Amino acid sequence: MTSPEALLVSQRTLAVLAPEIWMILAATVMMTAGAFVSWPRRTWTRLAASVLVIAFGILFFTRNLGTEGIAYGAVALNDALGWYARMGLVLAGLIVLALAHDQVDDKRSAEFFGALLMVHAGAMLVASANELVFLFAGLELVSIPTYLLLYLTRRNATTQEAATKYFFLSIFSSALLVFGMAYLYGIAGVANLKAMAYLVQAAPGVLSRWYALIAVVFLVAGLGFRVAAVPFHFYAPDVYQGSPTLVTALLAWVPKAVGFLGLVRVLTAVLGGSILSEKAIVLTWVIAVATMFLGNTIALAQNDLKRLLAYSSIAHAGYLMIGVTAALCDAPGAADAYLGVQGIVFYLAAYALMTLGVFGFILALNSPERPVETVDDLRGLAASRPFAAFGLALCLFSLAGVPPLAGFWGKFLVFASALDASSGDRRFILLAVLGSINAAIGAYYYLRIVVAMYLRPPVGTPVTRRAPWPTLAAITACAGLSLILGLFPGPLFRISRESARSATSLPDPLVFSGTVESTVVVPPAAR
Amino acid sequence: MATLLVITVLLPLAGALVLFALPRLDHRDARRIALGTVLATLTLSLFFMADLNKDNIDPQFAFEMKASATGLSHTVQGLPWLNVPGGPGIRFALGLDGISMPLFVLTSLLMIPSVFASWESIKERSATHYALMLALHTGLLGLFASLDVVLFYIFFEFTLIPLFFLIGLYGGPQRRRASIYFFLYTLAGSLLTLLGVIALVILQWRYGLSRELTFSIPELTRGLATLQMPEWAAATTWNSPQALIFLLLFAGFAIKVPLFPFHTWLPLAHVEAPTAGSILLAGVLLKVGGYGLYRFNLGMTPLGAAYWLPLVTAMAVIGILYGAFAALAQTDVKRLVAYSSVSHMGFIVLGLFSLTTTGVDGAMIQMINHGLTTGALFACVGVFYERYHTREMGELGGLWNRLPLLAFFLILASLGSAAVPGLNGFVGEFPILVGSFSRNPTAAVLAAVGMVLGAYYLLHMIQRVLFGPLREPGAHVADGGHGDAHAHAHGHDQADATHAVAPIAWHEVAGLTPLMVLIVLIGVYPRPIMDRLMPPTFAQSVSYPPLNPVETTSDDPSLTATVPHNPARTDDAIVATGAATNQALAPAQDRVR
Repeated sequence: MTSPEALLVSQRTLAVLAPEIWMILAATVMMTAGAFVSWPRRTWTRLAASVLVIAFGILFFTRNLGTEGIAYGAVALNDALGWYARMGLVLAGLIVLALAHDQVDDKRSAEFFGALLMVHAGAMLVASANELVFLFAGLELVSIPTYLLLYLTRRNATTQEAATKYFFLSIFSSALLVFGMAYLYGIAGVANLKAMAYLVQAAPGVLSRWYALIAVVFLVAGLGFRVAAVPFHFYAPDVYQGSPTLVTALLAWVPKAVGFLGLVRVLTAVLGGSILSEKAIVLTWVIAVATMFLGNTIALAQNDLKRLLAYSSIAHAGYLMIGVTAALCDAPGAADAYLGVQGIVFYLAAYALMTLGVFGFILALNSPERPVETVDDLRGLAASRPFAAFGLALCLFSLAGVPPLAGFWGKFLVFASALDASSGDRRFILLAVLGSINAAIGAYYYLRIVVAMYLRPPVGTPVTRRAPWPTLAAITACAGLSLILGLFPGPLFRISRESARSATSLPDPLVFSGTVESTVVVPPAAR
Repeated sequence: MATLLVITVLLPLAGALVLFALPRLDHRDARRIALGTVLATLTLSLFFMADLNKDNIDPQFAFEMKASATGLSHTVQGLPWLNVPGGPGIRFALGLDGISMPLFVLTSLLMIPSVFASWESIKERSATHYALMLALHTGLLGLFASLDVVLFYIFFEFTLIPLFFLIGLYGGPQRRRASIYFFLYTLAGSLLTLLGVIALVILQWRYGLSRELTFSIPELTRGLATLQMPEWAAATTWNSPQALIFLLLFAGFAIKVPLFPFHTWLPLAHVEAPTAGSILLAGVLLKVGGYGLYRFNLGMTPLGAAYWLPLVTAMAVIGILYGAFAALAQTDVKRLVAYSSVSHMGFIVLGLFSLTTTGVDGAMIQMINHGLTTGALFACVGVFYERYHTREMGELGGLWNRLPLLAFFLILASLGSAAVPGLNGFVGEFPILVGSFSRNPTAAVLAAVGMVLGAYYLLHMIQRVLFGPLREPGAHVADGGHGDAHAHAHGHDQADATHAVAPIAWHEVAGLTPLMVLIVLIGVYPRPIMDRLMPPTFAQSVSYPPLNPVETTSDDPSLTATVPHNPARTDDAIVATGAATNQALAPAQDRVR
């Protein structure tokens, strides 16, 4: 461990991970201190916000800390995908925090905001992960504080049920994931993901063992739970409905981002274009189609907003799965016009804005005196609260994929990547066609909410709650950015393109001495 | 000029934003702002029409047209919108040619009766109403002027939102259902069209001569005509690339037109929409379907068009007859006009898919004609609906005695719609029949039956509503102004003078007059307008194959001589429909024999 290369790798990795380390440290301090001091909620909110802002600052200045030279030894990467995804996660974290700032009482705020920070730190670790165990640690750092969050804000029977359900299923899915990872490690003999991808390219024979498929199936199953893809979706509606709105928003966004970033890191970047990808494509194809159809058709019948959004988030997992399916076709260094990962990254960014936006608006309008829980509760909102109705409509149209909003470009890229994935392969054309049919089905239930707000007479008392400014800022940002990124998607196109290229890029391993095998099997850290 | 075109397209949107910002504006001010914006836009549109070089079949008024190094593809520059490094190469590129120009002007022209139709009838939330109309105006102008497929699609979808709210907020009793139905139906189809478009872009990127990722409509059309892909050059099975992509593209446009089995959204939307919405929906929105079929289906997948020719022709003919019979059965005048649209749009598709110069030209002219006549019919219906609050033929009669000017307008529009020689409908439908007769005589004969039926139901409507003894239900006080309607029961034969219905007002005359002038003008002397508006269609006529495929064998030298792989040929037939259709017809003829 004292060789100069190993030192370099450790130094660089620690520097790259500085934002996460800072966030975890701060969160630990906050949660520990919470037991001894009784500061008001406002103080904790400000603390958490400043932690996130500082993390953002650190992240901003670590852009140039390249990890290409150490890609085969480092546990974390600071490539375009990792960096942009972490930036996005921190920014989304600020939005979540702004929505959360008045959702918890003073006594529990230290733990609550600490857990919130940890969830985001974990998500960022997953985004930069380059090693199986590191990836798993990141995923668990998302899951475990989520159990806390589910339970902290409100302690009643429905929350308990939701928390318990989520807890057991989450543990179960982690087990599935570890099982898959163990097989993957057993096949490749390395835990480093870039090394594994290189090995798959250089010696495709490693994947020819029959149990390679087990690895794929269990990886998809484990991460499929996180993103609520069929058939691992069944917890989502109950948990979403039973949880406080803020936690539901968090659940609809962070695990989805984490799951798909994980799938990109461990599945598509490793197996893309390999002999196994043909079988993996069948798997993700079926999951994508089943997820879209189930999510969209069941959402049609929902009246409870949170339940409706739960099914809608399942449907969006399906669209993102199209991106995964397409990404499985992209071999390392692929320069297609549209890469699957490109679609995933853009879609996730748009999804964060529109989903957090919709939940934010519900949060901002809801009050005990005038609950906003069902579609009918939103009736006549346009008359009483024109700006809120307009913003919510923007987010909903974006979810429906109507141009010129961010959600449209997400769908555009995902469908384009599917059509581009494999020329003339009818399965991909069919996948894109089924996806677009689903987009049309899905438009119905979003439109229903718009119709309720704009075209139906109000019922009962008008919504009166005035949300405090952080909530307003957050929802304005979500709705505004949905529109702005829809009108000017250029920068996000570039970001997603760069991310996609970096996810599949394999640096030249000859930076290190020795043959390919020795480089791969004996990473410099161990030498 | 290019900048001016962008300004023209965005001008109504600016007006819309002003009106959205002032939702409580008095309806007099709102309608003045709307009318001012529309007139300004129309003036600019007419200016473009006057300036269109009719000998040039390239898109005009675009940013910098320049030939690329290979000489095969022209690069249409656009505003650097999405053109960031690593971006998708989608451009904000606008331009007009002889096909989009007339529809561009028609859009602005039909906005005038739309604004005037709302002049008195929309008093509540009128600022929002006019704002939505103007937003729709921008969407339609942008759609016709787009030189980029994705930009086209964005404008295409964007038109849904204002129309959704126009129908949903200001429509009739079933407005919510109508607006949702309309929105979802169109969205479902257009998403498939988007897939088709992306597939075309990717194919041209992979197999095109230039191997550029381009979204430009002219470049794409040219690139696809010379695609270096063997499967592309033959569409013999349903799942060959051209035939499949044709179907994807077709989905959206067939719903928009609408063709027979996909027409179900139309009567509902037309009947429930406010008068302005109906005028724009029938007058312009349906033309988007025809325009898309021409630009995309015929222009980019000509072999697919040839492959599916029998199916599309059958759909068009069934649509013509079904629409006509359904119109015959209606008692509601607005519904009758709506079904007549189904019938007439069938003619347009029949003309387009005759794949002959005459037929396509006829279809392009008929798109304008249908916009004028149906727009006028809906405006007329709006005029008497405002006075009587009914459109039932059974409750109305002899309106000639009450509103002679309206009667004149209604008769003129109906005769134009029924394709009476000397009025505009004839100028469009006659070439369509000629063209389709040379392709498929049975279809032409059946379509001619539809024409006769069309004359029948329109004259029948005129007879019941305008002639005979005066029958009018109680006029509404608010609309009649000085009528004392509540004194009268919902009665018949109320011809006494105290029951005065407001005579036709200046704004109604002003809205209808331009349409009437054009209906007569195009009918009597179409030449100048056709010359100015249709150069690409006529220019391509040279490269169309001999008319009657039954008599022509596929090894006829005249067909093989013009296949698009000849570079000189390709350069001439810039929009490539003509050239590519040659290629397209060979398999079609095989099947015909």
